[in-house]
Amino acid sequence: MTATTVRAEPAETDLNFDQIPRSVQRFVDEVRDFAQGVLAPRAVRLDQQAAEEFDWEVIQAGHDIGLTRALLPRELGGLGVGVLGLAMAMEELAAADPGIALAFGATMLGQTPVLLTGDPDLQQRYLSDFAGPRAVLACNAVAEEEAGSDLVIPQHFPDARMRTTLRRDGDGYRLNGHKRFITNGAVATFSAVYANLEGHPGATGLTCVIVPLDAPGVRRGDVLDKMGYRNCLGSELWFDDVHVPARDVVGGECQGAAINVAQGNMARSSVAAISTGIARHALDLAVHWAGERVQGGKLLREHQMTARRLADMAVDVDAARLLYQRAAVKVDTQLPAPEREPAMAKLFADRVAVETASTAVALMGSRGYMRSYGLEKVLRDSFGTRIFEGTPEALALAITDCLYRDDDDDDF
Amino acid sequence: MSVYPDSSTAYAVFGELFTILTADEEFTERLRDADLTLRLVQTKPDCVIHVTPDQVRLGDDAPEDASVTIKMSCDTAHRLWSGTLLMPAAVALGKVRIKGKVAKVLELVPILQPAFDRYPQLVAAQGLVDGAAK
Repeated sequence: MTATTVRAEPAETDLNFDQIPRSVQRFVDEVRDFAQGVLAPRAVRLDQQAAEEFDWEVIQAGHDIGLTRALLPRELGGLGVGVLGLAMAMEELAAADPGIALAFGATMLGQTPVLLTGDPDLQQRYLSDFAGPRAVLACNAVAEEEAGSDLVIPQHFPDARMRTTLRRDGDGYRLNGHKRFITNGAVATFSAVYANLEGHPGATGLTCVIVPLDAPGVRRGDVLDKMGYRNCLGSELWFDDVHVPARDVVGGECQGAAINVAQGNMARSSVAAISTGIARHALDLAVHWAGERVQGGKLLREHQMTARRLADMAVDVDAARLLYQRAAVKVDTQLPAPEREPAMAKLFADRVAVETASTAVALMGSRGYMRSYGLEKVLRDSFGTRIFEGTPEALALAITDCLYRDDDDDDF
Repeated sequence: MSVYPDSSTAYAVFGELFTILTADEEFTERLRDADLTLRLVQTKPDCVIHVTPDQVRLGDDAPEDASVTIKMSCDTAHRLWSGTLLMPAAVALGKVRIKGKVAKVLELVPILQPAFDRYPQLVAAQGLVDGAAK
């Protein structure tokens, strides 16, 4: 019998959070002011509007401080704050409203494949608008009716029931298919779209293309009526024989799997940061309430059971923040982006968001259950991050796979 | 079959390649400005190169510490320097791993032209043609 060696990671010694660049810290401070001054006062009202309502005024205000170009390098007109700066900004936004955080996050997700190619022509054509005066958004189209996690877990690709296809046609391609649950699908200017090159089984021919959403043959479906994240729009996208020029294929035919995995590994620390922001918001509301509510002749926070709950919530929020910051630093300093740390950060923070929001509702009692207090929105929002960019089950597979993998064995 | 038959051939080509680069003022200036030191760890066959603005050190003489470590096989290095594999694709496919000041390293790529220009001659001088020993 062959013994399998499980990797025990050595203690980290190379992370120094005191060295966050001043430019990054300034950006995060500016985002915090925007989140608390512009976003927070209108978050509950926006949440209770019809599903199709979208606040372009907030998006424009976010664009004005750089939220649609934070990840882009300076030479492309971006802020170049890296994944750490982006993730810290996401926490600030999500502590006010995760829906708006996701509208900006999904835009950066759509930008990522274009950035990863290093193709100056593609970058110029699709990224330069983000440095202009008018707010524009992007999106990333992966999920389909019968293929969700199958397109996140590479081992599932051969059996994936993917229906969106790319067919060679003259000097370009034809794109056909239907994507579901696409954040910003209703309002984005372009989308990164994953399709399977015809002739390849399952999703083994996964190819990423960039598609302007005003191209002939593209149709935006109805806006989906969601439980949470109601301040960003999720919708369907239909592609009916859409012409895709060869120059809009990202990284070449059948390179979609590598791009998709790299994109996911880059995005997960930011999604973990959104969960951390949600949990922080719930904790803030609970701390405020427990500090002024008197029962049994003393403040709630002076009751031992409540004190323990508050302490556990605070520890969880800090731990979630440290995990996503560690992941973001790793992503900023390693190419390709690591898989393990972002997956761990997201798995933990997503759980903390749900548990913290749930505990906060319990602490606030009836007021936690009322829509006007805003906490029930936090609870609804907390479930969202467990679904996109890797479910807990998909993340667990990725993390466990890393435990049994030795980087030195990789075939370079 | 590997392009490089043994470590000594790899050192002859890649050692000389980085010696050419460190003679280029634009390259060394960029290294100094960004406070960069490079450690290239190439495998199959083993070839370790340490680059500072002032010198290139090889094998056992190459220090462990560097602000950036780049790991790849000699075959991947050959494809990169030959221009048949682009750096973004190599990174996306996991053929190249970079740790450290990632953004600073990628900024170096456009100024590596002197080395790209000389690589075919260096390979030919070692009797390697089209990715195989004569």
